[in-house]
Amino acid sequence: MTSITPTITERWRSWRGVLGALGAIVVVATLIVLVSGTRNGGRLDVEATTPQGARALAELLRAQGVEVNQVTTFDDAIEQAEGSLLVVARPEFLVDAARLAELAGRPGPRLLIAPTRPVLQALAPGVVASPGSSEVVRAAGCDLKAAVLAGDALLGGWSFGGATCYRGTVAVVGDATLVGSGSFMTNEKLAQNGNAALAMNLAGTHRRVTWFAPRSPLGVPEGGGKSIEQLIPANVGWFTWALGLAVLLTALWRGRRLGPVVEERLPVVVRAAETVEGRGRLYRARSARDRAALALREAALARMTPRLGLAATAGQNEIVTAIAARTGQDGGQIHRILYGEAPTGDAALVALARDLDTIERQVRDS
Amino acid sequence: MALTGRAALLAVAGALIVLAAPAPALAFWLVVAVIVLAVVVDLALAGSVRALRFERSDDQRVRLGETAEITLLVANPGRRRVRGLLRDAWPPSTRPAPREHDLDVPAGERRRVTTTLRPLRRGDFTAAAVTVRALGPLGVAARQGSHRVDGRVRVLPPFLSRRHLPAKLARLRAIEGLNPVQIRGQGTEFDSLREYVVGDDVRSIDWRATARRADVVVRTWRPERDRRVLIVLDTGRTSAGRVGVDPASGDPSGWPRLDWGMDAALLLAALCARAGDRVDFLAYDRTIRAQVAGGGRGDLLPGLVTAMAPLEPELVEADAHGMVAAVLARAKRRCLVVVLTDLNATALDEGLLPVLPQLASRHLVLLAAVADPRVAALAAGRDGAAEVFEAAAAERQQVERRQVTARLRRHGVEVVDALPGDLASALADAYLNLKAAGRL
Repeated sequence: MTSITPTITERWRSWRGVLGALGAIVVVATLIVLVSGTRNGGRLDVEATTPQGARALAELLRAQGVEVNQVTTFDDAIEQAEGSLLVVARPEFLVDAARLAELAGRPGPRLLIAPTRPVLQALAPGVVASPGSSEVVRAAGCDLKAAVLAGDALLGGWSFGGATCYRGTVAVVGDATLVGSGSFMTNEKLAQNGNAALAMNLAGTHRRVTWFAPRSPLGVPEGGGKSIEQLIPANVGWFTWALGLAVLLTALWRGRRLGPVVEERLPVVVRAAETVEGRGRLYRARSARDRAALALREAALARMTPRLGLAATAGQNEIVTAIAARTGQDGGQIHRILYGEAPTGDAALVALARDLDTIERQVRDS
Repeated sequence: MALTGRAALLAVAGALIVLAAPAPALAFWLVVAVIVLAVVVDLALAGSVRALRFERSDDQRVRLGETAEITLLVANPGRRRVRGLLRDAWPPSTRPAPREHDLDVPAGERRRVTTTLRPLRRGDFTAAAVTVRALGPLGVAARQGSHRVDGRVRVLPPFLSRRHLPAKLARLRAIEGLNPVQIRGQGTEFDSLREYVVGDDVRSIDWRATARRADVVVRTWRPERDRRVLIVLDTGRTSAGRVGVDPASGDPSGWPRLDWGMDAALLLAALCARAGDRVDFLAYDRTIRAQVAGGGRGDLLPGLVTAMAPLEPELVEADAHGMVAAVLARAKRRCLVVVLTDLNATALDEGLLPVLPQLASRHLVLLAAVADPRVAALAAGRDGAAEVFEAAAAERQQVERRQVTARLRRHGVEVVDALPGDLASALADAYLNLKAAGRL
C-alpha cells in the first residue's frame, strides 16, 4: 500500500522545471518586445510604430534638433503649450468645450490636423471649413514656402475657405496652420512623394513641439448626459465579480474527480457474421447476380438431392425429372429455375430466390 | 484539495450581499476573505488522508455472472477524525458499486468498506486506486489523496454448460455398465467373467472358462479407462469473432468463439475426468498461451478455469504447424485430440489441413466449431435485393463449411459443428459415442 498523491515537495519538484521555463519565456518575450517590438498606439501617436502611428516623423524631427513631447491630457497640453508649437493630432477627442477654450487662451503657434468644428471655432476662429474631398496626391499650387519646397503630397479631408495650397486643404491663418487630413504624417505614407518634406516643414518650425494626441475622449460633450457606465450603480459591477467567483468555485467543485480515471484493456469486438455481410455487400456493389444466383441454386440443390433420393453426382436431367415427378410442376420451368440464365436485374434475382424456395418447399412437403 | 458545494453557495450568498451592500467593493473583498478563511480552516483541520492505512482481502476468484465482494479495511492512525468520501476504483467493466462510499473513521479506529463487483468480462482485473476525500469541520473544503492498494480479481469462465453434466454422466454410467445387466458391445476392454444369465449375448460366452467350470461363463466388457484426452483451444484471430448472444451480459453483439469453446472444453473435461480419462489442456495460436498437464480428478476443473481465465483472442493467424508439433510433443501415446477452432475454409486450407494427416495418423482427432446462427438467418433473407445478395453470401459460406467438413471427415477427423448453445452438449455426445464405440 503506497500513497500515489504527490506531496507538496514532489509537486514542486516536478513542476518547477515547467514553471521555470514559462517564467523564462515571459521574461525573454518582454525583453524582446521592449527592445524591438512594435509599439501600439492610436493614429498619429508619436510613440506608435504601427502604420497609422507618427513615430517616424517624431524621430525625424528629433534628428533635426526639435524636442517633441507628446501630451495626452488638457492639463499637460495647457502647461506645455507656452513657447512651443502645439500640434493637435486628435481633435475628435477634444470634446470638453470649457477646457478647449482654456487651451485656446494660451498664446502660441499651432498646427491643427483635420480639425473638428468645435476645435476650429476655439483655436482658429473665423475659418470656414467644408468637408468631403477624398485623399489624393495633390500639387502644391500656391506660394506658401513650406508647400513649394515640399512639392506633391497626399492630402484631402477638410478644405478651408480662402486657402489655395493643395486645393484648399492646407491653410495658414494667423498663428494657426490647418491641415485637412493627417495621413501624410503617418509612418505608412511619410516616405511617399513630398509627404515627409511637407510634414517636416509644417511641424518643424519651432524648437519645441507639444504633440497633443489623447488616446480617449477628454471630457463630456456639451449638452450630453451621463454615459451608460456612469448610470449603473457600482454594486452591479462588484456583484458581477462575485457571481464570477461563484461560477469559478462551482467549476472547481464539480470539476474535481474523486480519484483517477481508470483505464481498461478493451477486447476486440468483431461479429463473426461480418465477413458474410461484407461478401453480400460486395456482390451487390459489383452486381454479381450470376455468382449470387449460382450460390443460391447450389445450396438449394444440395438440400434437395438427398430428399429426392439421388446421389450428389446426379445429372441435371435426372434431378429435374425427379422434382417434376415429385411436385407435378412443369419440367421446363423447373429446369429454367435451377439451371437457367443468370438473372438480369435485382428484381429477377429476388424472384429467382423465391422460386427456389417454392420448389424446395414443395419437394419437402410432398 | 477539493472544494464542496458549500464554497460555491457561500460565494452566491456573498454576491447577494455585495448587491445590497452600501460599500460593494469592501463587501466583495470581505466575501473573498471569508471564503478563503473557511477553506484554509477546513484544510488545516481535516483529517490526514496520507496517513491512512489500508488493508484488502486476498485476491478473489469469481465466475463470470457472479458478484465479488471486495472488502477494504481503512485504519486511521492520525489524531483527527477522517470524515468524507472514499472511492475504491476498479476497471469500469467490473461495475464496482457503490461508486463512492461515505467514510467516517474516528482517530485510531478502523472501518470496513465493501465494494461489490459485477464483472462483465472474463479475465484478471487489478484495483486501480483508493481515493479518500476528507472534509474539514466546516464542510467547505476537503483534503484529497489516492493510495495504491494492490488487489486482484480473477473472473473465471462461467461454465454455463455444467447444467448438461448430470445428463451426460447418466449416459456415461449407462455406457460404463453400472446398470445391472452388462451387454456385449459396450466397450472393448475385458472386465471380468461371470455366470451366464438368460438374456446375455451368446457370443460373449467364454468357452474355455466354461470348460473349466460347471457353469456357463460369459465375459463382460467395459469401456476403456485411463485414456488420454488432449483439448486444444485455438486462440488465434478466428476465435475473436462474436457469435450468438453473450450469456453473461445479454449483449447482442455476441460472445467470442473462444468463450463458447471454453464452455464446451470445460464440460468435456468434467466428463472425461468422471470417465477416468486423463485430460490435458493446451491454448495455442502462435505460441502456447496456457496449458494444464495431466490434471487429476480432483483439481482438474479448478486448474482449467484458472488457466482459461486470462486468455484473450490474439489477432494473429494461428500457426497450425506449431500447434501440431506441440500436440505431438505432449502426446506420446495415442490419444483423443480435441481441437476447438473455427471451420473457416481459407484458414483451415492454409493452416490445419496440410498438417492434419501427421496428427490423424497417430491420434484420433476431433474438431469442434461453433456455427453462427446469424449466418443461417441471413441465408433465409428474401425481403429485397440486398437481403438476397447477403443470403447468397451466407449460402456460399455454408457450402464451403460443408465442403471443408467433408474433407476433414475424409482425413478421418471427427467434426462437431453446432450452434453456440448446443456446442458443449454436442461435443460431450461425440466423446461419449467414441467411448461407446471403443475408438478411444
